[in-house]
Amino acid sequence: MNLESIDFKLFVETDNNPFILFDSSGHIIYLNNAAEMLLCYVGTKELYDLALTYAPKTFGHKSTIHSLEYESFSFYSLMVGYETDEQIYLRLYNKPLVQTKISISNESLISTDINTILEANITLFQLESNAAISLFVDQELPLFKLDQNYFSIMLRKALSSFVNSPSLNVVLKLIVGEYILIDDKKHQIIELILKAPERTIDHDGEIKQLANQTHITSSLKSEMIKFQIPLII
Amino acid sequence: MIELFYSTSTKVQYITKGLELSKSLFVSSLIIGEANIGKKSLIKSIFPEVPWVDGSDIVNLKQTLSKHNELIISNFELYGDYNINDFHGKRIIAISDATSFPSHIDSLFAFIYTMPSLKERPEDIKYLSEIFVKEAKSIFMTKDILPLDITQIDLTDNIKSLKKAIFEHQAYNTITPDKIEQILYNYFEKELNGNNDYAKYLPIFENPLIMAGLNKFGSQLKLSSILGINRNTLRKKIYELGIN
Repeated sequence: MNLESIDFKLFVETDNNPFILFDSSGHIIYLNNAAEMLLCYVGTKELYDLALTYAPKTFGHKSTIHSLEYESFSFYSLMVGYETDEQIYLRLYNKPLVQTKISISNESLISTDINTILEANITLFQLESNAAISLFVDQELPLFKLDQNYFSIMLRKALSSFVNSPSLNVVLKLIVGEYILIDDKKHQIIELILKAPERTIDHDGEIKQLANQTHITSSLKSEMIKFQIPLII
Repeated sequence: MIELFYSTSTKVQYITKGLELSKSLFVSSLIIGEANIGKKSLIKSIFPEVPWVDGSDIVNLKQTLSKHNELIISNFELYGDYNINDFHGKRIIAISDATSFPSHIDSLFAFIYTMPSLKERPEDIKYLSEIFVKEAKSIFMTKDILPLDITQIDLTDNIKSLKKAIFEHQAYNTITPDKIEQILYNYFEKELNGNNDYAKYLPIFENPLIMAGLNKFGSQLKLSSILGINRNTLRKKIYELGIN
């Protein structure tokens, strides 16, 4: 079999694991589709520095088990390699995802003004916290269907993780041009970001579970929690 | 009838605002805190139309849960059968004097409010005192009342203790000699039953007389002159009664 006739580049191009080839100055020479998506959320320099940190000591290739999180991307391992001084590549390996299929139960969804539920939760938060709150919310968001009890429990737990922080930034906005697919139906996305200098992570597991139950994409970092909520009309 | 609820405490105002906002949502709330701090009055003032059941009356509670989608459960800590399925699709407003619950209770309620005790709400002690003094004046039909040092009131039972202290103070300071006689008459009629009761009950008269006198006039010399008794007799009485 003549291997030279096989277009290996196509396999790399369509691989779900991000692959980036840098030159010696850190400029990208080549990246596949998955890496292109990843670069929407993380800078080139950060990834180049990562490659240099985990590069093998001499020419060759080195795999390292290392957990990495960039927004909704989660990786469990990375591989770095170079054969010349001119080029170095970084390959990140996606964490396997357990896909749980949760359908929308209309029974528990109630048409909701998300600003009201957010305000009620912030009021509860203020009982326990002296954080200076800065609100940047879109008051014109339409009513949409939400499991109010679950959402509120999730929000209460999310806010309580910032209770010892001196300040809290809250952003609520409609994302333009992005959609969530649920039961083969496209829904617009409302994004809620809670950001503060300090955060406890005790309830992160519960927060993720509650978000998952309500079709909300959650991203939990050391200083920030982001929810992407489907706008179900 | 709409219940009136009084508070100027910032924390209680946050709770009120949160509950008011939750009226437009179909979510369950739990409000916890010590007894007699105004939890029930607050809930009644915000949700006057919602049916009310005592958590200790399990039969009635289960029947009401099957009939209504909205329900207030008082003494929630007494409802031991915390079954998540019972609350599914319902708006429950639960009130409890207990401050600790099994961990799964946390997942039943969208909002869990902890109401501060009266001791933690100094602004409310002052505010509620003024209201109770006004109420006491109206009941006892008096224009003025001797000032009461509210910082000295034992607030173990929160609002109940405060109201009791103010009403007792008002009653004691508006009482006339004939009423004192009547009270003592009723008391002795009930209590006299021994063989040495004169000596036993005499301190009831002598104790307040000497203590108030010493407090008012400052010295035994002056008080003996006011009372028209010998200074040594007064000193002996003070010793016998154990007055400091």
